[in-house]
Amino acid sequence: MIDFSMYDQKEPKIAAYKCLKCGAIYYPAPMVCSSCDARRDPVTGKGWETFDLEGPCTLLSWTRLWNLPEGYSKKNMLFGIVEFENGLRASGQLEVDDPKTGMALHSTVVESDERPGDPVNVFVFTQ
Amino acid sequence: MANVGIVGIGHTKFGNSSEYDLSDVLAYAATDALEDAHFLARRKEVDQVIVGNMASGLFCHQSAVASALVSRMDMEPVPAELVENGPASGASAIKIGYMAVASGMADIVLVVGGEVMRKVTGWVGTDYVATMLHTDAEYNMGLTLPAFGGMFTRMYMERYGLTERDLALLAVKNHANGAKNKYAHIQAPCTIEAIADGPDASVVNTYVAEPLRMYSTCPVSDGAAALLLVNMDSPKAKGFPKRPIRIAGIASATDTHCVHNRKDPLKLDAVRIAAEKAYAMASLKPSDISFAELHDAFSILELAISEEVGFFERGKSFLAVRKGETDIGGRLPINTSGGLKSKGHPVGGTGVSQAVELVRQLRGEAEKGRQVLDPKYGMAVNFGGFGNNVVALICAKE
Amino acid sequence: MALDAMEKTLRPPEIPLKSYPAKVITLASGEKMVVREARREEVGALLGTLYPLFGVAKDFYDIVAVRMYSEILGWYRYRVANEFVLVGTIDGVIAGLVTSRHVTPKLGMSLHTLTIKRGFRVGAQLFAAKMEHHLEILGEDEVYIVAESPNGFKRWMIEYQLEDRSSLFPEVRHELGGVPTYVLTRPLWDAVRDVKCTGVRPVSAQDLKSSEKLIMPSEYPQIPGFKR
Repeated sequence: MIDFSMYDQKEPKIAAYKCLKCGAIYYPAPMVCSSCDARRDPVTGKGWETFDLEGPCTLLSWTRLWNLPEGYSKKNMLFGIVEFENGLRASGQLEVDDPKTGMALHSTVVESDERPGDPVNVFVFTQ
Repeated sequence: MANVGIVGIGHTKFGNSSEYDLSDVLAYAATDALEDAHFLARRKEVDQVIVGNMASGLFCHQSAVASALVSRMDMEPVPAELVENGPASGASAIKIGYMAVASGMADIVLVVGGEVMRKVTGWVGTDYVATMLHTDAEYNMGLTLPAFGGMFTRMYMERYGLTERDLALLAVKNHANGAKNKYAHIQAPCTIEAIADGPDASVVNTYVAEPLRMYSTCPVSDGAAALLLVNMDSPKAKGFPKRPIRIAGIASATDTHCVHNRKDPLKLDAVRIAAEKAYAMASLKPSDISFAELHDAFSILELAISEEVGFFERGKSFLAVRKGETDIGGRLPINTSGGLKSKGHPVGGTGVSQAVELVRQLRGEAEKGRQVLDPKYGMAVNFGGFGNNVVALICAKE
Repeated sequence: MALDAMEKTLRPPEIPLKSYPAKVITLASGEKMVVREARREEVGALLGTLYPLFGVAKDFYDIVAVRMYSEILGWYRYRVANEFVLVGTIDGVIAGLVTSRHVTPKLGMSLHTLTIKRGFRVGAQLFAAKMEHHLEILGEDEVYIVAESPNGFKRWMIEYQLEDRSSLFPEVRHELGGVPTYVLTRPLWDAVRDVKCTGVRPVSAQDLKSSEKLIMPSEYPQIPGFKR
């Protein structure tokens, strides 16, 4: 039987990781759990429970970047670091009109092909 | 452990060397260091060559640059290896050179650090430098080093009350020093009126990564620097024309790859730990340091590093800058060379360049107007990644 | 001197242009750069400034210098219609030049930008001054722009987010050789004006006097060891 499911359109997601032994959560995942020292596999996810990192978050800091690297053709872009309700943090792009540290945001994930290589999933934090 | 001293220094004029082969740029600095030590004719007596370079494969499409360098200098069969540690490659090369001497495996080591970054356009270079970030969680998001510099600056401003004008004061100070340094990339002073106070300032000193402006961000530079290290306890250390400058302490430390995974992203633990280890090795404390070269790839880092190494209380360093305490004639001169902001930042070369400045100051060989008065101990901090791999170096006059 | 009939025939029709009001910009070094319109009688200093760069291939200085030379000569000898030349001077020494042309009351044609003094954003300031002249003084609605070097492309096309109209070729085409045509429209200008364009008016009598007589640069960072 041929499995065609791999061709299905997938919604872009970014995974966070929970250690199956001690319950510590990570983004991105390390090779060894820093809480219980258990060896984990961040590539296959073996030893981890994965979950989508998404939803409400708070803006910790932000910048408007004017000198964008090769591949980006915008005049400038906003970037930020956020903290999710579960305490995990992430860095990504920011799309709001008037960024303010501490503002409540919502995390979404989009596919981006601006960097060299295969398309990648990117956080976009919006209001 | 053996005492390790620096008996020769070399440094190219930083700036645009895009028409030069990286091996030649490294060879200029290496040859200068050997000449400074009157050791050029005896260069094959060097036990080990160590080259610090971050990304020749990307910037110059060239690999194995340590091997290329020894051949350029007719130094075969001297062993040669490359050390890569991002923008801290230079200081890491010194540390490995120190370890080679201290271990007894070598008595004379030539350390060379350099980078040629301007063969590619600025935006391609920005992309290459960004490859040191976490691939999935930072680089792929579109983040760059200036982006982290900007976010770090904003956090610092919001917590401690730093202003953009304070950052401009650092540029004025460092450009005043760099203007007098024959090796500096930008040998031109800038004025506070032009970059902060005047009517044209917000356009002339345009934003790079808000709230960081152009004059709070280092230029992209080509260049190299070199040191000749000797075992001061070995008979081979005799006969050098200049008194060795002793490496009193050298240490490094690491931190999380992702900036967001630091409990307090404003704390640069790797800087603090590397400095503490270097102080311990040298049996010194922050108040013993006469002057320092701190890695101001972004001006905020000069402030944050100066606090982590214990020169100032957390959140207070910019108040000292306002009072001129870190000027050449101040209590603790910082970035006497012009720093990365004015002297330039060829990434793999910066750590060695900082050490060259320590030696020039401790020998009393700095140019008029930027020589610190009778310094005893100089400290350098070379900052890799966004603070995830940092080397601290202390050099002593005696 | 009366013009002979043939010369009259050869000269382009002219639209009288409003003059560009001089301004002064304090560069990061603290030096004051006066930006003003060049006068016809100054053509010697302008051409003499460009001439040494004809052999500098790096960063396309050769092509830009040669083209500007011909544009300024064409302006001087009445072979280009409605051209203007802005010059940036520091203590009278030419730091950079821009050339441009008013095509219709609604359309401007940006020609070239050339910077001699590097590292102080002289080119960026002069380009912005040129756009200021087109849109704010001459009152055009849009300016056609092309880039002939990567530096130019990054600076103008991306930093100003110019509108790419290359797909409308040949109906929409810049006068310079058919490279893709980009357009600065008034809304795009309004969006960048505050971060790109600066300068103080009126210029003090002292600063104006400093730029009264154009001085050809005695050194060029592009030509090490240059002697005039």
